[in-house]
Amino acid sequence: MTELIQHLSLGFSVALSLQNLMYCFIGCFLGTLIGVLPGIGPVATIAMLLPITFNLPPTPALIMLAGIYYGASYGGSTTAILVNLPGESSSVVTCIDGYQMGRQGRAGPALAISALGSFFAGCVGTILIALFGPPLAELAFEFGAAEYFSMMVLGLVSAVVLAHGSLIKAVCMILVGLLLGIVGTDVNSGIARYSLGISELSDGIGFVSVAMGMFGFGEIISNLEEGEAREVNTSKVGSLMPTWNDLKMSFGPILRGTALGTIFGILPGSHTVIASFSSYTLEKKLSKDPSRFGRGAIEGVAGPESANNAAAQTSFIPLLTLGIPTGAVMALMVGAMTIQGIAPGPQVMTQKPDLFWGMIASMWVGNLMLVILNLPLIGMWVQFLKIPYRVLFPGIILFCCIGAFSVNNSPAEVYLAGLFGIFGYFASKWGCEPGPLLLGFVLGPLMEENLRRAMLISRGDATVFFTRPISCGMLVVALFLLAIIVLPQMRKKRAEVVYESAD
Amino acid sequence: MALKIRSMKDFNAGLMFMAIGAAFALGANQYPMGTAVRMGPAYFPSYLGWGAVALGLFVFVESFLVDDEAPTRTAWRPLILVIGSVMLFAALINTGGLITATIVQIIVSALGGHEFKWKEAIISAGLMSLSVWLIFDKALGLPFKLFPWS
Repeated sequence: MTELIQHLSLGFSVALSLQNLMYCFIGCFLGTLIGVLPGIGPVATIAMLLPITFNLPPTPALIMLAGIYYGASYGGSTTAILVNLPGESSSVVTCIDGYQMGRQGRAGPALAISALGSFFAGCVGTILIALFGPPLAELAFEFGAAEYFSMMVLGLVSAVVLAHGSLIKAVCMILVGLLLGIVGTDVNSGIARYSLGISELSDGIGFVSVAMGMFGFGEIISNLEEGEAREVNTSKVGSLMPTWNDLKMSFGPILRGTALGTIFGILPGSHTVIASFSSYTLEKKLSKDPSRFGRGAIEGVAGPESANNAAAQTSFIPLLTLGIPTGAVMALMVGAMTIQGIAPGPQVMTQKPDLFWGMIASMWVGNLMLVILNLPLIGMWVQFLKIPYRVLFPGIILFCCIGAFSVNNSPAEVYLAGLFGIFGYFASKWGCEPGPLLLGFVLGPLMEENLRRAMLISRGDATVFFTRPISCGMLVVALFLLAIIVLPQMRKKRAEVVYESAD
Repeated sequence: MALKIRSMKDFNAGLMFMAIGAAFALGANQYPMGTAVRMGPAYFPSYLGWGAVALGLFVFVESFLVDDEAPTRTAWRPLILVIGSVMLFAALINTGGLITATIVQIIVSALGGHEFKWKEAIISAGLMSLSVWLIFDKALGLPFKLFPWS
C-alpha cells in the first residue's frame, strides 16, 4: 500500500508538472477536435497526430498520445449523440439511444452523463493499472521466448473470437498482417525480405502508413460512397445538467459498464466495441421496460460509454506490463514507443519509473481534463460539426499525408498509405475487418523472433510450448476459445452477443 | 448442378487471400529455409503464406455454398480521386514543396466529394495552406520545403 502511494505520488509529481499538464491538455484537445469529425476513429486520429509528438522527449510524448486517445474516444461519443454518425465502431452503441435523446432535446444530459460515466470508468481503470501493473510486470520477467510466443497466439486468437464478422476472414487478415509485418530486413540473416528492391521497404513497412491507409483513407472513401445525409442536432443541445432522475438511473449502468469494460479491456485481443455492446445488452436485459431502449433510454448511454472508457483505460495494462498490444490502438502505441526508443514491456516500469507512473497519473488527469474541457466546449464542437463533409474530408486527408510524410521525411510512406487505402477499402467492402490485420502487423516480427528463440533454446523441440506450464496454459486457453467458436451452438451465441444489441 | 457464386464478398476475399498468401510463400523461395532449430528467413513467411492460401481457399469454396448479400457498388470516382490526391501529394512534396502539394491535394480530393464548388475548394486550399504553414513550419518547426523555388 505504501508502495502504491509512493508510486502514485511519483506519478503525480511528473504528471502535474506544468509542461506535462500542457501536453496532456493539448493531447486531449487535439484528440477531441479530430475525434469529433465524423467517420474518423481513434486509430486514424492517433496515426494522424503522431508526428507532432516526434520532437518531444518520451514522457511528454506518451502523455500527449494517451491524451489524444481518450480525447478521440470522447469526441466520437459527442458525434454519435449529435449527428448519429459514429466516429468509431465503439460509438455505434451510443448512437442508438444517445441520438434519440438528442432528438428529444436531451442531448445535453446525454453528453453530460457520457462524460461523467467515462470519468468514473477512467478513475477505476487508472487505479487498477496502478494496482495490477507491478505484480503483472513481475510475472512477465519470468517469461521466456516460449511464453511470449504463446501469449501472442492467445492474443491473436481472442482478437478473432471477439471480432465481429466472419471468423475465418479475421484469421486471414491476421495472417496477412503477420506477413506484412515481416517485410524488411531480417534481424538474423540481414536479408531484406520482400523489399522488391526498393530501399525504403528494406526498413519495413511503416505502421503509420498501414493504420492511416486502412483506417483513414479506406474509411473516408466508404463515407463518400454513402453520400452526405447528416442531420445535426445543433439547434437544441439543451441544458447540460442531467436531472436527479437521470443520475439515479445511470448510477447502476455506470458501475456495471465499468466492471464489464475493465474485464474486456485487459483480455488480450478484445476491443472497446465488445465492451460497449455487451454493456448495452446487459442493461437492456436488466431493464424493467426494455422497450425504452432505442427510444432514448439514458441507461443505454451511461452503461456503454463507461464500458468503452474503462476498456480503453485497462487495455494499457497488457501493453505496459507485458509489452503486448491488445488492439489496433495499442498497436499504434507500441509503434510510438519504439519511435521514442522505448521497448514496451515489464522493464519500462523498473527502468523508467517516472515515465511509467507519470503516464498512469496523467491518464487520470487526462480524464478529468476531458470533463472540464468538453462540457463547456460543446458549443464549439457543435459549430465544428456544421462544416459540410465535402469541405472537411480533403483537410483530413491532407493532415494524414503530412503525418505519414513526417515519420521519415520520405514520400515512400505516403505512397504506401495510399496503397493501403485501396486495400483497406476493398477489404472492408468484402467483409474483412482492418483491426486484426493491424494487430498481426505489429506482432509479426515479435512472434517470429520469439518462435525462433524458443525453438533454438529447445533445440528444435516444438513440445517446449506445452511443457512449460505458463506457455501451455495460454495455448490451452487459445485452443479452448477456438474449439468453442467452432461448435455450432456457440457460434450462434457469439453472433448474439456481438450483434444482438445492434437492432 | 451448375456452380453459382452465392457470395461475391467471399469469392473476392478468398481470391485476394490466396493471391497474397501465394505471393509471400513463393517469394520465400529465394531465401534460405533453415531448419526448425535455426530458422532461416524463409521459414516463418512460407508457413504463414501457405496458411493464408489454405484459409483463402476455404473462404473461396464457401462463396459457392453460403448466400450473402452482394457487396456495395465500388465508388470509383472517390476512390481514384482520394487515392490520386494522396499519390500526387507524395510526388509533389519534395519537388514542389509543401504549399504546392497542399493546394493540389485539397483540390483533387475535393473533386471526389458529392458536390464540388470551385470557389469553396479554392478558399479551403488557401486556408489549409495558411494553417499548414503556421502549424508545421512556424509552430512545430519541422523541416519542410515550402515552395518549388525554396
